[in-house]
This record gives sequence, C-alpha cells and structure tokens, in this order.
Amino acid sequence: MHLTFTLNGETIHLDDIPEDMLLVTLLREKLALTGTKRGCESGACGACSVLVDDRLTRACRTKVADIAEHTVTTIEGIRGTDGGLSDLQQGFLTYGAVQCGFCTPGMLIAAEALLRQNPSPSRTEIRRALNGNLCRCTGYQQIVDAIEAVARERNARQAK
Amino acid sequence: MNRLNYVGNPRIQNVEGAEKVTGRAHYVGDISVPEMLIAKVLRSPHPHARIVELDTSPTLKVPGVKSAITHADFVDHGRFGWPVKDAYVLAYRKVRHVGEPIVAIAAESEAAAQAGLEAIVVRYEALPVISDMKRALDPESPPIPETSPTGRHNLCNTHLLRNSEPDPLLAHTEEADGTPVVFQATYSLPHQEHAYLETEGALAIPEPDGGVTIYANNQSPHINRDNAASVLGLTADQVRVIQPPVGGAFGGKDDILYQSTAQVAKLALLTGRPVRLILTRPESMVASYKRQAMQIYLKLGATPAGQLKAAKAELLVDSGAYASMTPLASWRATMHAAGPYRYEAVHVDTQAVYTNNGYSGAFRGFGNTQAGTAIELAVDELAERLEQDPLDFRLRNALRSGDRTLTGDVLNQEVGLIACLEWVRDRSAWTDKRAAYAAQAADIQRPRGIGVACYFHGSGLGGEGVDFATATLKIEEDYSITLTCGLTDYGQGSHTVFALLASETLGVAMERIRVLRPDTQTALDSGPTVASRASIVGGNAIRVTAEKVAKLLNLAAADLLGCGPDRLIRDGEGYVGPTEEPVAFEAVVDRAREIGLQLSAQGRWQVRPIEWDFKQGTGEPYFGYVFGAQVAEVEVNRRTGRTQVLHIWAAHDAGTILYPKGALGQMYGGITQGLGYALSEAFRFENGVPQARDFDRYRIPRATEVPEIEGTYIEFPHPDGPYGAKNLAEPVMIATAPAIANAFYQASGHRVRSLPLPRLKA
Repeated sequence: MHLTFTLNGETIHLDDIPEDMLLVTLLREKLALTGTKRGCESGACGACSVLVDDRLTRACRTKVADIAEHTVTTIEGIRGTDGGLSDLQQGFLTYGAVQCGFCTPGMLIAAEALLRQNPSPSRTEIRRALNGNLCRCTGYQQIVDAIEAVARERNARQAK
Repeated sequence: MNRLNYVGNPRIQNVEGAEKVTGRAHYVGDISVPEMLIAKVLRSPHPHARIVELDTSPTLKVPGVKSAITHADFVDHGRFGWPVKDAYVLAYRKVRHVGEPIVAIAAESEAAAQAGLEAIVVRYEALPVISDMKRALDPESPPIPETSPTGRHNLCNTHLLRNSEPDPLLAHTEEADGTPVVFQATYSLPHQEHAYLETEGALAIPEPDGGVTIYANNQSPHINRDNAASVLGLTADQVRVIQPPVGGAFGGKDDILYQSTAQVAKLALLTGRPVRLILTRPESMVASYKRQAMQIYLKLGATPAGQLKAAKAELLVDSGAYASMTPLASWRATMHAAGPYRYEAVHVDTQAVYTNNGYSGAFRGFGNTQAGTAIELAVDELAERLEQDPLDFRLRNALRSGDRTLTGDVLNQEVGLIACLEWVRDRSAWTDKRAAYAAQAADIQRPRGIGVACYFHGSGLGGEGVDFATATLKIEEDYSITLTCGLTDYGQGSHTVFALLASETLGVAMERIRVLRPDTQTALDSGPTVASRASIVGGNAIRVTAEKVAKLLNLAAADLLGCGPDRLIRDGEGYVGPTEEPVAFEAVVDRAREIGLQLSAQGRWQVRPIEWDFKQGTGEPYFGYVFGAQVAEVEVNRRTGRTQVLHIWAAHDAGTILYPKGALGQMYGGITQGLGYALSEAFRFENGVPQARDFDRYRIPRATEVPEIEGTYIEFPHPDGPYGAKNLAEPVMIATAPAIANAFYQASGHRVRSLPLPRLKA
C-alpha cells in the first residue's frame, strides 16, 4: 500500500508497504528509528509504546494501515522547546528513573500521554497509567517521582 | 581527607542517561549493518531426549538460507562451562531441557530463517524426565549429565559448613538454662526468571584476518571472548567482544550469551557476512537459565529466653540440565543458610542435583535469596513458638561487631544490622501496627499484617574465585579523561560510579570523564561482572589508577608553582601553591607534558586473599559482609484472595554510598524483584516443561502492584571499599519475600513454607 502519515512532525510518504506490516517493524526496520523497542511482541510490556495522535499505542500490536493519515510520535520526536531534552526526559535523569534504559522510551511516551490527558495526576493515577509498561530495574518509584515533579513544574509554569 | 565533592553527592546523574532518554542508545538489536544475515535457532521441545536423527541438508535448499551449524562445527562439540564443563553451544547427542539449542541457521531474512528452521529433519527418542530433585538422587533414575562431576550419578556438587557441634545443643536435655526450644521445618523456594526487558542477543562481524568481532549483551565480555575463542578454535586476540548498552541482566546474561555468541560467530565465519541473533521473548523465557529452586530443611534451637544456640540446615538445590553457576550459588546459599545471627554451632549440608527442569544459574542474590528467605521464615516461626515479638527476637540474636558469624569467623568490621532493624522498626511504627493487626477481628474482609526480615550478604566473590579488577585512565589532548574497565554497566550504574570515583580522586569535573564500554581489545580483563562487585572491586581499581595519575599531576603542579607537592592545595579543579594564584587543570596537564610525564595509567586491585576449606567446611568465606532489614505491610483480600503489599520500609548497611540516586534505584528495583518472588513469580516446570512463555503467564510486578517504598542506607564504612563503600545491588532483595510472607501470616493466620504466597479465598 501507499502510506502517508505524520511522524514526529514530518509528513512521510512510503510506497509498497505491506498493509499488515506492524508499526514497530516499520519504525525500526524501514525508518531506522530504533528508540522504539521490542520487549515481548505480544503487547504485554509496553517497550514499543508510541503516541498515535495523543493516544498511547503499542507499536507491536498496530498495523501500519491503521496509522495512515494519523500522527505518530516516537521517542525520537520527544524533545524540549529548545531542541534539547524535554522536561520529562530531564526529570527522568534528575530523579534517577533510568537504569538499563530499555523500558525508558516507552515509559516516557506513556508519561507524555498521561500528562496530555491529566495534567495533575496523583501518584496512584501515575502508577495506573504506567501499568502497561513493565520495568524490571527500577521498581517504578523514581519514575513516579519524576512524572509527579514534572507535572507540578508544568502546572507552575502554566499558572504564571 | 578533603570534603568529598562527588562521592555521595545526591545530584550525580547517570552518565549514560541522556542517550537512554532520547532513544539514541543502540542496544544490540538496534545495530544493523550492511549484508547482515538473521540467525534463528532450532530448540528442543523435549525436556530429555536422545537425538537419533539430525539432517540440516534440506534447510540449505531453502531460498535465502546461507548456513546451518550443529555441535559438529565446534571444537570438542562446542563443550563449555565453568566451573563444570558440561554444556554445549549446540546440543550433542542428547537434549536435557526444553529450549536447548540444536541447530543455528543464518538466512537473508527473518522469514527465510523461519522457513529454514522448519526444513530441518530432527528425530528424538524421548528419555525419562526427571523433574523431582529427590528422584534425581535415586541411583535407579536415568543419568542426565554425560559425566557426573561428583562421580555420583545426578549429584552435581556438594558443599558443607562445619562450625562446632550443633547436635548436643539441639537435643532435649536438661541444661542449666533450661530445655532448648527446637524448631524444624522444610521450605520450598521456586525457580525465578530474570525477565530483563531486553532479550538476549549477539551480532558477529567477520574480520579479514579470520577473526570475528562480536557485539553481545553479555555481562562478562572477557569470559565470553575466551569461551568463543576456545570453541571456535581461535586465539583470544582473534575474537573481539564489544559491549553495547545492556537492557538488564540481574545475573542472567552469562552462559546463554556464551552459547548465542559462539553460534553467531561461527555462522559469520562460515558465511563471511555479519550475523545477528535476537531471542524472542518466548525463546528467552524457555531457553534462558533461572534462579535455582531449593528445598531447605532447617532445625533451629534457642533457649526459652530466646537466645539462638545452634542450627542445622540441609539444602537440596535444583541445578537443572547443566551446572552453570549452581556450584557457586549453592556455596553462597550454604554460607548464609542460618542467617545473620549469633550461634554456638552450625552445620550445613548442601546437595545440588541435575534435573530436566530447564537449567539454573546466576540470579541476583546468588543462592542467598533462597537461603535468606528460608531462614527468615523459620526464625519467625521460632519466635512465635517462644512467644516473642519477631523483631525483638531478631534484635536479640542479630550479629554485632566482634561477633562470630555462622561459619565461626569474627566480624572485624562495623556491623550495621541492629541499626537497620531499629530503623525499619521505628519508621514503620512496628509496635503499634503489630498490636493493632493482632487485635483485628477474625472475620474482617481485608485483614492486614506487618512482617519483618533481615539478612547479611558476603561481599564480592569470596571463596568463589580470584576477586580483582583492572582499569586504565588517560588524559586526552582536549583535557578530557577516558576510563576503561572490563566490568559491564548493564543498568546498575557502575559507569557512573567509575566516573565519579575518578573525578573525586583526580579532583576534576565529572564532565571531563568518559567511561568506555568494555571492549576486549581496549579494556583489561577484570573478571566477571557479578556478585555486586563492580562498585567495590572495579571502583577500587579506578581509584588506584586515578591516584597514579593524580600523583603525576601533583608533580607537574608543584613544578609549575615552584613548591613541593605536599604544599599544594586544590581550589576546584585548580591547583594552588603557597604564594601563587591558582593554576588551571589544563595548565598543569600542559606542564606535565612539557616535563615529559605520561598522563595515562593502568591499575589493578584485588581483594585480600581469604581461605575457605571446601573439604572441611571451615574458614573465612568473605572479606566482609553487608547487612539489612525490611518491614512489609500487607492487606489480604478475602474475596479475591489477592495480597496487596501496602508499604515497605528498607534499611541497608552499604558503607559509604557513592551514587545516591543509583543506590536507591538498586534498592527499589531489588525489592520489586523480591516482591515478585513472593507474590507471582514462581517459574514452574511440569514434568520438565516450562509453564510460562510470556509476560501474561509469567507475571512480573507492575507499577500498581509495587507499593511506595521508604528506604535508607545506613553508612558503616568498610576500610577495604573505595571511600568506605560496600556492595548493595543483590542483597537489597533478600529480605523482601520473607518480610511479605511474614506479614501475610499476621494478616491471614496462614503460615507459608513455600513461595509464591497462596491465594486464600474465603
């Protein structure tokens, strides 16, 4: 099929893409965007999380046909307004939320999706929002700390 | 010593963090090179079978398949393994566990590789399966290993510990202080899967000189190199192993990576093209090694007043199809079997056996997770029998400085165990909650409970082997500093620790330091990255190496400032002499070069020798210990039968904390793995067949299942650690499962002698 979609702010046109190709394959193998990870390929771990429009989506459970004309954001499309790290990316570093880093892109996408939907989540709401993203290293606590602090900062900025 | 700027600084961030939060970190599965072939592996569906026919010629006719290899393509059939050389890169004659690799193929695409696998002709003759450890010891049962390492059938190894004579102290005789209270029980601890988010993978690139370069997510690149060279018939310098970022390991990325690495290396050499193998999740779950299941019999004796007197333990350890690290992990279990308490006499006898339950090896805690769980469940039961509060009972018997451990050697170090127990008691409001939950109505729908456990853990390899690390340090032309060490950072933060130790020792900004990932061509062998030893042994190697360069810089600064080196003081990165203005680090480096000093160094550090007599079961097993305690509060839902952990308090005595953010992350992560071990993570084999192949069947804790953890490090520095640091990554998980199980008892009235906790439905 011919595929047109928006990826990290750019319009992409691709020809001869099999309709049943998985989004994770398209991203990693056709477009060399390897920040989206394969952790289980059964939709259980969330390492392949991307945003489709503003919705948290498993790239390993999504066919490319379903993203035609939609907007996809991967970790490579997450950056701060100055082109550097986004506030969430910086927050993950500040709060020690990164260990092996393999779940980190998916976690950041899940966090971004949450804060777009709920700008002031409680810690319990943050944990619920992360439930589809497995992390084996951190025990989640510093990830929750980071998201909570960034939400607070965003709200403080907005209030000004 | 001057005030420390980097050691213990809570602002220090992971030096590899930026590339990980941006998705720029290239793990092995992210590395794609031109002409690369895809490898796939045919694995045994049988737990135990003879291979009666194996024909790979049809697969070579499948379009796109370039090569197919078997055991016959390796030296000595690809036999490998340490300390017991009983495993194969690809199965030879027999398969001994489900998932054992038999044929590896390389093809132009994933689809071609899959078609190639299906074309292989293989016929098995099923052999009787041994899934029960006691049956494995029956001389009539079928032998699993090719050659028994003990000469005694399926007995893989034994260990013993002998400290005085416990029997008289455990006998029911009238003593001056009354009849001892004796408690005995058997505990059953299950297998556990590492479940690192990144599955195992290796990429091999053939080199023009007949050698091969390998990117593999292994823990110990030098061991992987030596092993690959040996089975490929190459010299060590023909095999170069480079470490990409590793997506978690926890002990699980040793042997299975040695297999995968040798497979892709051979395929690359035969095809002349790069070959990459990435295991799928089901493949990883089935083929990778596990934490050993153990059955632990304990007999404890105490005075009626609650003084522990003696202990006896018998450990039966499931090694599975191959020995892997079980001979060592079962030794560590033996050395910790009676827990962190004062005894007059202890005997431990351990047997590790071969079965067809997958195979087991290294996993965080390395035997002490199982042994520590059993003793902490038993101590709780004994305290109850003595009608004593379980935390008070532990405080009464816990090891203190100058005490003798269960092996009889004296703790010539500060011991933080009492401080840890007191901290978790006070922070958790133990006394009030314990009383409140004891007074709960019996028919309450969601009863709560609070439980405690504590542990000790020998530092480094101990009697397991020579414990050393080697580092290099070089000041570059642009005044940046490059560090290498053969130890791996697979997420635990050791490279951050190395960078901050070098900064501290040299007195320079951390931004100058670049830690290279291990590459066997540039980093020096430092032994395996295991046993929570990177920060201690590797950290000391970094420190002694940095001290050598610091000394050269002092000479240059003294020369520049016209004074003796002992007159120098530091002002930030700058050097100040008695009368002069500060001079910049760069100026000192320039002067050093002008006077001909070489600003690079290599340093090695080795743990002081210790002696354990494996035949007598006596000696000093470790150069030092770390200690800790945890309290868990749980709620049992009688309607669903589910146990929710509400809160965990944790205190660990790890000496000086080098990298606070990372140390807390290790604690939270370790506790979460312990929580999984308590609640959901038994990896089950039914007649040798693994019962889980994905994260739906094998449940690791999710964010809502992990409670808020309140953790602290209690700092009793050890003189042998860098800046007084001790180890922490493994031991922090040991107390979690038993603390939860003990809390579950208070909530439910149901004593647990095996994990995971049962679901108690009303």
